[in-house]
Amino acid sequence: MDSVIGLLLDTGVDDDRALLLPGDALRLAAPGGPVLVGGRCEGCGERMFPRHPVCPACMSEAVVAAEMPRHGTLYAFSTVHVAPEKWAKPFVVGYVDLANGVRVFSRLAGTVTIDGPVTLGVAEVGRDADGRPIRSFVFAAEG
Amino acid sequence: MRGVSVVGVGMIPFGKYPAKSLADLGWPAVKAALGDAGIAPRKVQAAFCGTALGGMMAGQRILGRIGLTGIPIVNVENACSSGSTALRQGIMAIRSGEYDVVLVVGVEKLTKFGGGTLPLEEEDWEVSQGLVMPALYAMRAQRYMHDFGLTARQLAQIPVKNRANGALNPDAQMRTPVTVDQVLAARPVADPFTLLQCCPTGDGAAAIVLCATSRAAEIRADLVHVRASELTSGRYVGGYRDMTTPEITVRGAAEAYEQAGLGPQDIRVAEVHDAFSIAELLYYEAFGFCRRGEAGAFLESGATAIDGTIAVNPSGGLLAKGHPLGATGAAQVVEIVRQLRGEAGPRQVAGAKVGLSHATGGGISGFDHGACSIHIFAT
Ligand SMILES: [Zn+2]
Repeated sequence: MDSVIGLLLDTGVDDDRALLLPGDALRLAAPGGPVLVGGRCEGCGERMFPRHPVCPACMSEAVVAAEMPRHGTLYAFSTVHVAPEKWAKPFVVGYVDLANGVRVFSRLAGTVTIDGPVTLGVAEVGRDADGRPIRSFVFAAEG
Repeated sequence: MRGVSVVGVGMIPFGKYPAKSLADLGWPAVKAALGDAGIAPRKVQAAFCGTALGGMMAGQRILGRIGLTGIPIVNVENACSSGSTALRQGIMAIRSGEYDVVLVVGVEKLTKFGGGTLPLEEEDWEVSQGLVMPALYAMRAQRYMHDFGLTARQLAQIPVKNRANGALNPDAQMRTPVTVDQVLAARPVADPFTLLQCCPTGDGAAAIVLCATSRAAEIRADLVHVRASELTSGRYVGGYRDMTTPEITVRGAAEAYEQAGLGPQDIRVAEVHDAFSIAELLYYEAFGFCRRGEAGAFLESGATAIDGTIAVNPSGGLLAKGHPLGATGAAQVVEIVRQLRGEAGPRQVAGAKVGLSHATGGGISGFDHGACSIHIFAT
């Protein structure tokens, strides 16, 4: 966990480093820091992360990009010791509940607690087969 | 709707067989089930084979070994519910009137992947972010402990119970009993789970011969009848979801009880999907064996031991018997049938007349589980 904390809030745009996220799911250079970009269905208002091309609630394909809140509440978490080679271990994962009704599965950092507040950041979470760093979003304990 | 009865069961001891092919794991289970039924292979009119990761044509590869070919063979994939889903397809094939005698086989060879956690679908979003199956169950455990005050020592008593049962089962992969202290001191996998709170990976096969009840008396006298055969999928939820209660099993249990005309108070023995320690506790509640939040105390009361009021996982469950995915659902039925026939030897549940099997799985984003299949049997 310490290695993740050390790299936390590494928010600079650093394009030669591999990023896990496809497309525009994580916007690094947004005003106010990195932000997750999910979807909002124009048919029924359903919000989702990540953004899919079709709405799971109403099957509408009018799903537009929508920024997710940067803060959330931790529903549950676990420290993982056994996982595929590419991940730096141990690491902490959990489900973060956002105020807009979306639950995000995320890496975590800091001393997290169930029902505790967490904030979005970015960190290195592992290395790919060629030894390049893999980065992703990480919610960190607040305060 | 025609009644369906079980006339034969067989399995190979679960374990690690890296040198054996999937076909060579499967056929001995089929031969054992046919031998148990005492019928010639040519009596089998159709076969359903469940495997999650066994690859194409698993049923043909197995049945080709013993010449049981030229009949319809259907291969079924439904993650950890593959074997029990194959069973349900077999039951429906007889119920429909199409066939009288059907073979079901569940098979898996996990040693081909080496060790570690199960390979998951990389296309899944949460898997791409580092989700592994133990972590998914571990988060359920953490939230349950937070909400209901379950202690780490209570949680550790699940593998203690199931390993003790497995020690009595010659078909179990793990046959040595463990203590609470050993469970808690084992290597950590995903907190709060240690290695002894996670089912082992391994290989296995199990088979079941089904017959229309109207014809089954021609085969044997001690019949076990199918009272419910239930299959459902998880409901997709993108937002908040209570992880301390498995919605798919709660729904499936209600539907299975309704189909059987029975309730939790009628069940004497159950094989439930204890892939990780917390799972068995959640299923006590989902099946109505005890009330919400009381599973830890229910376990500690001894109610779910072999000599308790509702024996849960007398075979050792997934934690001790092992969990070769596609074989699991079929092997649970092998155990229930042996229990209901009174053939379970030192782990026999006294007076068992009604039993239940439950296989659920498929860790995918937005679902409690992908699939859940529940069967209820009675003599
Ligand atoms: Zn919609």
